Amino acid sequence: MLMDFARLGWMRWLLCATAGACTLFLLAPLVLLIALSFDSSPWLQFPPPGWTLQWYAQVFHDPDWLASFITSLEVGSCVTVLSVLLGLLCGFAITRGQFRGREILRGFFLTPMILPSIVLGIALYSAFLWLHIAGSFAGFVIAHLVLALPFSVVAITGALEQTDKSLEDAAMLCGAGLWEARVRVILPAIRHGLFGAALFSFLTSWDEVVVAIFMASPTLQTLPVRMLGELRQDLSPDIAVVSSLLVLATALLMGLAALFQKESAR
Amino acid sequence: MTQAFLELRNIRKNFDSFTAIDGVSLQIPRGEFVTFLGPSGSGKSTTLYVVAGFIEPSAGEVLLNGRSLLGVPPNHRDIGMVFQRYTLFPHLTVAENIAFPLRVRRRPKAEIAAKVDEMLRLVHLSAMRDRKPAQLSGGQQQRVALARALAYDPQILLMDEPLSALDKKLREDLQSEIKRIHAETGVTVIYVTHDQEEALRLSDRIVLFNHGGIEQIGTGEDLYQRPASAFAAGFIGNSNFIDIEVLENRNNIGDVRCPDGSTLSGVPLMGRTQTGKAQIMLRPEHIRLTAEAEGIGGHVTDAAFLGDVMAHTVLTGWGQEIMVRTPRQMFMGPPAGVGDAVRLGFAPADAFLFVPH
Amino acid sequence: MADAIAVKGVRAAQAAPPPPAPRRLRNGFAPAVPGLAFLLLCFMLPVLALLLRSLTQPQWGLQNYAALLATSTYANVLFNTFAVAGLVTGISALLGLPLAWFLAVAPRFWSQLVFGIVILSMWTNLLARTYAWMVLLQDTGIINNFLIWTGIIQNPLPLFGTMAGVVIGMVYIMLPFMVLSLRGPLAALDASLFQAASLCGASRVQAFTQVFLPLLAPGLAAGGLIIFVMSLGYYITPSLLGGAQDMMLAELIAQLVQTLLNWGLAGAASFLLLVLTLSLYAVQIRYFSPRRGKEG
Repeated sequence: MLMDFARLGWMRWLLCATAGACTLFLLAPLVLLIALSFDSSPWLQFPPPGWTLQWYAQVFHDPDWLASFITSLEVGSCVTVLSVLLGLLCGFAITRGQFRGREILRGFFLTPMILPSIVLGIALYSAFLWLHIAGSFAGFVIAHLVLALPFSVVAITGALEQTDKSLEDAAMLCGAGLWEARVRVILPAIRHGLFGAALFSFLTSWDEVVVAIFMASPTLQTLPVRMLGELRQDLSPDIAVVSSLLVLATALLMGLAALFQKESAR
Repeated sequence: MTQAFLELRNIRKNFDSFTAIDGVSLQIPRGEFVTFLGPSGSGKSTTLYVVAGFIEPSAGEVLLNGRSLLGVPPNHRDIGMVFQRYTLFPHLTVAENIAFPLRVRRRPKAEIAAKVDEMLRLVHLSAMRDRKPAQLSGGQQQRVALARALAYDPQILLMDEPLSALDKKLREDLQSEIKRIHAETGVTVIYVTHDQEEALRLSDRIVLFNHGGIEQIGTGEDLYQRPASAFAAGFIGNSNFIDIEVLENRNNIGDVRCPDGSTLSGVPLMGRTQTGKAQIMLRPEHIRLTAEAEGIGGHVTDAAFLGDVMAHTVLTGWGQEIMVRTPRQMFMGPPAGVGDAVRLGFAPADAFLFVPH
Repeated sequence: MADAIAVKGVRAAQAAPPPPAPRRLRNGFAPAVPGLAFLLLCFMLPVLALLLRSLTQPQWGLQNYAALLATSTYANVLFNTFAVAGLVTGISALLGLPLAWFLAVAPRFWSQLVFGIVILSMWTNLLARTYAWMVLLQDTGIINNFLIWTGIIQNPLPLFGTMAGVVIGMVYIMLPFMVLSLRGPLAALDASLFQAASLCGASRVQAFTQVFLPLLAPGLAAGGLIIFVMSLGYYITPSLLGGAQDMMLAELIAQLVQTLLNWGLAGAASFLLLVLTLSLYAVQIRYFSPRRGKEG
């Protein structure tokens, strides 16, 4: 009865009410963001006295927002490429290797996931100050790669584990060398895992702010760092615009991922 | 003696603490269809993977045309293989799968196209050439795998329980298909299975594996008619084992005493000279139910009519169940029913004598 | 060399080029080397160096740890950290259970819609979400205006810049994790279990407290632990929604580095946070299935 919606009795109304309230709680801020971005009042009045596109125009014409957007894209792209590449190599070692301590290795690759970002942030900041690469593009990429690599390793080892090793063997008996077999046969077979790894790696870098604070310099800021800077000063409608665009991008990406999943299920 | 085509010399393989194969030696002439038969864990698959090059033996030698294969990576061994699960490349069509080994070898386009057509005809799948593996049935996938493995005219074709994932009907269809393809191509085949019927149906010779070693090598008939060990006798066909005592040895023919005290004379001793405890093995079809005073006494606990044969289970005086199968044309009078007291008769020459280890 | 063999064509093996050198030492470890080296150099080494600084700056010894634990300001920070993490975990469990339950039993359309909203909110940029709450929680923000308009309160509630605000903002972020943690256990629950309970004479409430909750307890505990650990080290949301008197451990670490340049004390605080995090994760691995929760 408890797992049957039709037979929940009075509990159904309680359940629907709580779930509805929670959904509203989760959805309302996102709707608010979008409403505020079109709000004609610069003081974030709600309900808005009128609607305008002027804040969008303002953001699109602001070279600082554009620069941070570009920086985020650049850092994210570099991190994605490196993370998928390293993740793929590690994935092959973890799933196909025959050495002792494979499970320990797998665990080690996941440790950056559980380390609080603030600790990684100041640890890298301290090291980069010493190496004189604080505030550099390379610093950004290294820091975000540390955070992205675990996701890439998880996605790719998962995909490799679901792929029959005999596929590799079959390709080798067909005459392909080990890495030729892996590139020509295994990569196409795990393409969904690779896509997932790339997506998670990019999003990790794109959304990351705590470590980024310590990697940034006044001239090199990713989008989240710039947003944080703005938030610390005042609640300008600019942020509502950028946030709305990010919500939109998230929704689009989710749609894309759902499509991809549907395609892979076939 | 001419040099063997493929020769395994005293292969051993240890994994950490456990020995998977222990001293396997074998010679296979060109064009032969050899089956590695045995229970799981008997070392048959490990031996196959040693030939394929995916497992490096701890000791021993693998020779092809007298040249060592050890140290030659699998992709340079010129060996074809069909795996237990359908290992078709999921992103390639049927034709592309078959072309894969030829593309890897950078053969000319025209040659590849011709070979793919030939292979598709060989496995009767020309109509499916542009399908993806996921759109094929299990049997069709395995035929494509066979075509892919043969496309580059490999010196040896290895098959690792290729039909175990298919249902019985399909399995039998593919068995005859495999036999036909072997006859047409003349390729040397090593076929691994745990299914004795499959082994008997397909092979020129059967290599029977047990506990990481070779128990017996021979044709199906050899293994059935002249099993070299109790294991071989038990693994191929149905069998009854009876503990006996050898009383006397006269020119390799012995008198033995059964557990109920009855004695038999004229049992071939197969070169075993000493008297004392041993076992005899009797095939169910070699035993008949008689009303004579001779033979081992018991009563029927189960009787089943199976069409061309009648199957009885007889509980002997010492509490052992013996299987008896009587062909239809041998039925004499009304068949014995459950509970009937019967005697088991057999020709002493049909008994195989083993000395248990 | 592979090319040479391929070009020679048909019977390469018989043409007998010298066989490639035996590769007996290959165990497949080599591909892991670049990633392993990267993490050792760019992750382990800096973290260890930071911890070392907690022992060496300003001089050798445990003075940083003594200061961290003995000073009342810092003790207060620790208390705040645990209080916020505990509250966030508790409220997330309280809200996440009905929400996940709804997702498991509701008609397909509604459950997919609500799940989509859960995922959308989880994937939306952290700063965007925190910004929304900064707007909502102001004294003249929407929540206070609404409550005053309805006459429930006369004066605005102190939400922004207080621990209440921090907790609300963080529950918003953590709730999806609880829902994901409970999805698996709920999907594993068999409807016939409750038919059986009902036949045994259990009322809905009895079935809930005596069958439903005990079966979900491991999932709740696993999700709660993840949320608690993540909350302990949270930085952005507390620093934007909270006030100076509600400082949490991560904020303290950032402040020590950014404004006070006290690397020794920052290292000690980091070590403390690290030990807390790792020991709680050890509990997670020991008592709950190792890889669950984050992926759902």
